[in-house]
Amino acid sequence: MESYPELVPSLLLTLREILVAYAMAILAGVGVGAVLGLNRTVGRIYAPIVGALYAVPAVVWYPSLMLFFGLDAASKIAFGFLLGFFPITLAVLAGIRQVSPHMIAVARAFGARPAVVFVKVMLPAMMFTLVGGLRTGLALTVIGVIVGEILGSKSGMGALINHAYGLFRTSDYVALVCVTLVLIIGSDALASLVERRAQRWTE
Amino acid sequence: MSRTRVLALQAASVLVLLAAWETVARAGWVDPLFVPAPSAVARAFARMGRGALIGLGDTLVKTAIAYALSVILGVSFGIVLGSARPLREVLNPFVVALYGMPKILVLPWIMLLLGFGAAPAIVYGTIHGFFPILVLVAGAVRDVDRTLLGVAHSFGARRWQLYWKVVLPAIVPTVLAGMRLGIVFCLLGVLIVEMFAGVRGMGHVLNSFANGFQAPELFAATALVSAASIAIVLGLDGLNERLAHWRG
Repeated sequence: MESYPELVPSLLLTLREILVAYAMAILAGVGVGAVLGLNRTVGRIYAPIVGALYAVPAVVWYPSLMLFFGLDAASKIAFGFLLGFFPITLAVLAGIRQVSPHMIAVARAFGARPAVVFVKVMLPAMMFTLVGGLRTGLALTVIGVIVGEILGSKSGMGALINHAYGLFRTSDYVALVCVTLVLIIGSDALASLVERRAQRWTE
Repeated sequence: MSRTRVLALQAASVLVLLAAWETVARAGWVDPLFVPAPSAVARAFARMGRGALIGLGDTLVKTAIAYALSVILGVSFGIVLGSARPLREVLNPFVVALYGMPKILVLPWIMLLLGFGAAPAIVYGTIHGFFPILVLVAGAVRDVDRTLLGVAHSFGARRWQLYWKVVLPAIVPTVLAGMRLGIVFCLLGVLIVEMFAGVRGMGHVLNSFANGFQAPELFAATALVSAASIAIVLGLDGLNERLAHWRG
């Protein structure tokens, strides 16, 4: 692959986009999910709206994101964020709802403050669902960034793939797809490792 | 809190959001080139009406074909894979790998093979819908209660009767769940192809508005597709509930 001097920088760029988008998706997803889950009124009103938006194929937002953020990394990060945000939010919401109210009541009765209740009671009880959501979120963020790059960009793995396809360099295209697959499988393997760790910790 | 109250609060929140957006846009705090006011979006909606509806119709026809194909193929392969144990054990890793792989990576290849037009959109949409349905149905067939099969068998049921009278009724809920999941994936696949290299359809419409910096039209078209897909999913949910009711 010495004919591809852009390969390593492209790979790093795609990786960076994924990391930034995923970090943002975790922050926003956990935040919004916690607000929706902890406050019953807010949850009843807004959770169905979030669910309905999740039923829209996310790619319809991509042209708007491209218009806002241009062809550079920002629009890919925004799209990856959007795809990762929903499963994480919904997992946090579902996780909080499955925590037994008795455990919370007992912890409160023993004088635990809300923050302590969240960290010591709710987090362990919802860990299973939460980690599953985080893993789905990562997979979707990765897909979002790559879809964004293929649909329109100047750099990153998706752009290289698109370029090779446009020039009918099919063997290059297959090679680039293989490299990207390694990236995707690697990230998923990492996520499953974390998932198993978290499960062991819960038990 | 009553259901009507929740609905009223939901509607009120959306209206407040729209009003705030309108105010911000009118006050000039955001560039109308990128963030047009809701009123401008509504006008754009009226302006592009026909063209967008034709695009939406085009997309929905392709989605419907892809959906029918993925349900038929997904359910039949799912039944085969679920009932033949050796086949399942051999093929399962491949199915899981293909299911998990981001399909976008094979899109350029599909385009090379099938060229432009409706065919790649239908094929790509079908691939998107096929795998989740296949995996769900195969799992359901595998988990059909052995006792039921044994009893039917000992009462002399023939092979086709086993499938028609025991397996099929048992997997109906899963098939419905798969159909609910599949429609969004099919629509997603079709839209991606239209955006990537379409000459017609809603994906192409969205893309050309974005490239032409026609933000009001872009927003209106986005809202139209979103509303259509939410309506389809809610419709399927309603159908599902009614069928569940009918099954008892």
